[in-house]
Amino acid sequence: MDFLWKKVSEKEKEEIQKKAKTMMDSFSKRLSKIDKNIKAPLIERGIGEREESIEESNDDFSRKIMFENAQNKNKDFVIAEKGGWREE
Amino acid sequence: MKTVDKLKKYLVEIKKNDQNGKKINAFLQLNPDVLKEARIIDEKIKKGKAGKLAGQIIAIKANINVKGLNASCASKVLENYKAPYDATVIQKIKKEDGVIIGIANCDEFASGSSGETSAFGPTKNPIVLNYVPGGSSSGSAAAVAAGFCDMALGSDTGCSIRLPASFCGVVGIKPTYSSVSRYGLIDLSMSLDQIGPLAKNVSDSSLLLSVIMGKDEKDSTSQEDKKINLNEVEKTPKDITIGVLDFVIKDKNIQKLIDEKVEEVIQKYGWKIKKIKIGNIDLAVETYYPMVYVEFFSGTRKFDGRRYGKKIEDAAGPEVLRRILGGSEITKAEYGGRYYHNSLIAKKIFSDELAKAFKKVDCIVSPVTPKLPHKIGEKISVEDMYAYDALTIPHNLYGNCALSLPIGKIDGIPVGIQIACDKFQEQRMLQISMAFEKLNS
Repeated sequence: MDFLWKKVSEKEKEEIQKKAKTMMDSFSKRLSKIDKNIKAPLIERGIGEREESIEESNDDFSRKIMFENAQNKNKDFVIAEKGGWREE
Repeated sequence: MKTVDKLKKYLVEIKKNDQNGKKINAFLQLNPDVLKEARIIDEKIKKGKAGKLAGQIIAIKANINVKGLNASCASKVLENYKAPYDATVIQKIKKEDGVIIGIANCDEFASGSSGETSAFGPTKNPIVLNYVPGGSSSGSAAAVAAGFCDMALGSDTGCSIRLPASFCGVVGIKPTYSSVSRYGLIDLSMSLDQIGPLAKNVSDSSLLLSVIMGKDEKDSTSQEDKKINLNEVEKTPKDITIGVLDFVIKDKNIQKLIDEKVEEVIQKYGWKIKKIKIGNIDLAVETYYPMVYVEFFSGTRKFDGRRYGKKIEDAAGPEVLRRILGGSEITKAEYGGRYYHNSLIAKKIFSDELAKAFKKVDCIVSPVTPKLPHKIGEKISVEDMYAYDALTIPHNLYGNCALSLPIGKIDGIPVGIQIACDKFQEQRMLQISMAFEKLNS
């Protein structure tokens, strides 16, 4: 297969999903040979706190772009409608 | 030379060879205000009030938010998405008077190692036009190599700065995880992603790195550490022990180039050498990809077609879908701890092994990648594509810093050496890399 971008059909998606799962299964199988007696925590956690500050991006320009990015909008709010972006 | 004059030269070259001529396809968008911004910087230089990056022309990967420009991630999903704010790295670049020339092409959502998966067409390798430039920061590396800009920003999750840097013959740095803020980076895999610089030489990439590093309250994983001293970077360090990675690659020509360069550096500077074995390194790819699939699946749930852009499952290309659909499958099956949990265990083992190794040596060198690039559009298996990352991934899993430096060519194709140091040892890594670079000149 080549890796160039192309539009993917529903049938191709099913095939991709199946093959991806098979590959992940084979990766998992190969990883199963490693020593699993690891006692230390697997995820490093910091304090996880931060000082909140006033967002400088809350300006008129950012607001304008936010409305430009929205698929559906009214005068001063964004309409988050499922599938709203689809072409008729 | 004035910033404006240099910029104009770059714009002429871009016009000549990006969408015309050689058709490199490195840029997705040029900054419409770039000339105006360059004139302002020249005024500041004239008044002696300019920042560290004054006069530098910089390209930005399409997954980093630059206010008012498209942050499309080279995808139809976000094709018309305009960034409403600046990423922290962009704020820092602007504060130091860097000029952003435009948005660089990349693999779609940074999902790729070749630069072919962009929805807006593959990027060509400016050095060998029919070969891939490497990915995912393909446009960033190609823009620097093609002479379209001075430097660029990319992001590196498993290889994405170092691999394209190697294939395009430029310098690329993956900084220590958490040393550069990820705020404003559209993520591929949040526990591994890191923003970093690409440039023509170690000196320029050090300059850009020194600007973007540092703690940021908007990225709670970010940390403050020693600042890079650019004067110190120029000095060749003494008493260095180079660790040479004990890993057999099939392409003997690549290994020969690396061995020759290490021998040369040892002879010239009187450094020592030690073989370094990293246990289970042959399982790096198998450890990394389940993590990426799961984290990417999780991170892309926001692209549901309601708030912005299109639904990712409906508008993405094959490689992005492979990761999302595969990630969905193994997330559902994770209750047995077979996938993500296994990867976390292996990641911990890699981290312990590398931490131990860095106690014995100052740096670990290896090829950036075990093989040369394929031709654009050439058919290869998914496993072969993922194998490009085999030697870069371990440093993402541990989170240390690593750099790709050009050391020669095989059949006209650039080859890079990877120089990796322990976490927050960027200064030492840059010094060692510059010593290697001096051999080339």
